[in-house]
Amino acid sequence: MIIDAHGHVGGWDQFLVPQPSADWLVATSSRIGIDVTGISHLVAVGYDTRLGNRLALAEAARFPGRLGVWLVADPHDPDGPRVADDLLDTPGVWGFKLHPDTHECPVTDSRYGPYLRRAVERGVPVLSHSQTRSPYSDPADLAEVVDRHPGLTLLAGHAGLWQDGFVRAAELAAAHDGLYLEICGSRLTARWLERLVAIAGAERVLFGTDATFLDPRAGLGKVVNSRLSAHERDLVLGGNAARLLGARLNPER
Amino acid sequence: MSGTEMSSAEGVRVFDAHRIAGPVPGEPAADPAGLLADLDHLGIDACAVTTSAELLGDPAGAPARDAARTWSARARFLPVPVIVPAVAGAGWPADVDELLATPPAMVRICPRRHRFDPHGPVASAWWAALAGHGVPVALDVTECGLDTAAALARAWPELGLLLLTPGYRELRRLAELLDTAPGVRVETGTLVAAGAVEWLARRFGAHRLVFGSGAPRWDDAGARFLLDHLELPESDVALIAAGSAAALIGQRWPW
Repeated sequence: MIIDAHGHVGGWDQFLVPQPSADWLVATSSRIGIDVTGISHLVAVGYDTRLGNRLALAEAARFPGRLGVWLVADPHDPDGPRVADDLLDTPGVWGFKLHPDTHECPVTDSRYGPYLRRAVERGVPVLSHSQTRSPYSDPADLAEVVDRHPGLTLLAGHAGLWQDGFVRAAELAAAHDGLYLEICGSRLTARWLERLVAIAGAERVLFGTDATFLDPRAGLGKVVNSRLSAHERDLVLGGNAARLLGARLNPER
Repeated sequence: MSGTEMSSAEGVRVFDAHRIAGPVPGEPAADPAGLLADLDHLGIDACAVTTSAELLGDPAGAPARDAARTWSARARFLPVPVIVPAVAGAGWPADVDELLATPPAMVRICPRRHRFDPHGPVASAWWAALAGHGVPVALDVTECGLDTAAALARAWPELGLLLLTPGYRELRRLAELLDTAPGVRVETGTLVAAGAVEWLARRFGAHRLVFGSGAPRWDDAGARFLLDHLELPESDVALIAAGSAAALIGQRWPW
């Protein structure tokens, strides 16, 4: 089973996305063999978390079993943790999505605390944007978050994003229980994927594409065409995500 | 390898128009045999090669000349030398006549890194000569910026320009440039916004798009997979895979 751990639907303000729809994402994923994609709506990432989460849930309901939902956590909404918590049992929900950079709130900030504590209590994973040297989402700050919240499963989206930070991100994942690397991004090559797996271990690396922000075909190709072993590739492409998501992969749970 | 011998697993000839050969900081060292193994692994028949010694070092220096010789001696590598248009004694080669004595299939320029004025009188004379001889120019958008590339394209519409590493965030500006500058082609490897390659191909024609990766700094594995899974007619895919590059290079296309 191939599980795309990092997806989106919707347009974005900073550039043209030719194919922003869930319909295109599911059709393209079907053609290339991706079974299910965990999405957040870019409306939620960008400016209106509650609306964007509702839009993502509606899309997931249209494609049960093909789209999961990362509920975007808004650190500026005082009632946000309760609202998100109420949605956690909605079929198709995978966990929480943090984007500390667009929300301009460090991942270590206390305003993320209620979401992270709830994730531990409910046993749901959290996907966070990570970006080397960012004041909001440096991988070292994500490592601090998992240390503060024992039992938390935290996926470092983009594995730190920039090439000069990949080695450190992988070393942090290897050294901190609960911290995983998700590999989408235009700067993360197949060569870098092989190095991340060598440093962090294949059990700590998850496939993601950033579709439809990016093209899922380019994302899948870097794994399929990498020189990982078959066992490593299976873990990265879906084995690890299936283990971390458990019953939440089943929309009928 | 002769033209009729080129093939890939999918039956489409594939030419990577953008490879960096030799030591690149942060990347494992690769010798010519290693690059050939990479091409075989991904089903790429041949590639354009610019050496890192020319690109990251002094193109006129002895190490760069040695590297250029080393990497040009393979049938599947098409040398793309770095040129530096400048006054006598400051550039490489000494003048455009020396360059065109044995015209390369394509040249690469780095206006910002090498700090020459692409609109100055010396460079302008070189562009006129290159256009007259049908030698296209490749330039990296991440190196010189899209503004520089667009200005060059509009000033020299008869010059073939291949825009390398355009990225996924500039589709609107790329589209306008393709619409107004007939000499421009765009490399596909970093056109990774969802559906971007098809979007450009359907509007401006697949003959304006050239498969290239920028490996090892940029990803060749995903770019190659995307090429295999484009939702375009086979004839368009064949153009992107190699035909557009062949048309751009023209009579000096070696295969």
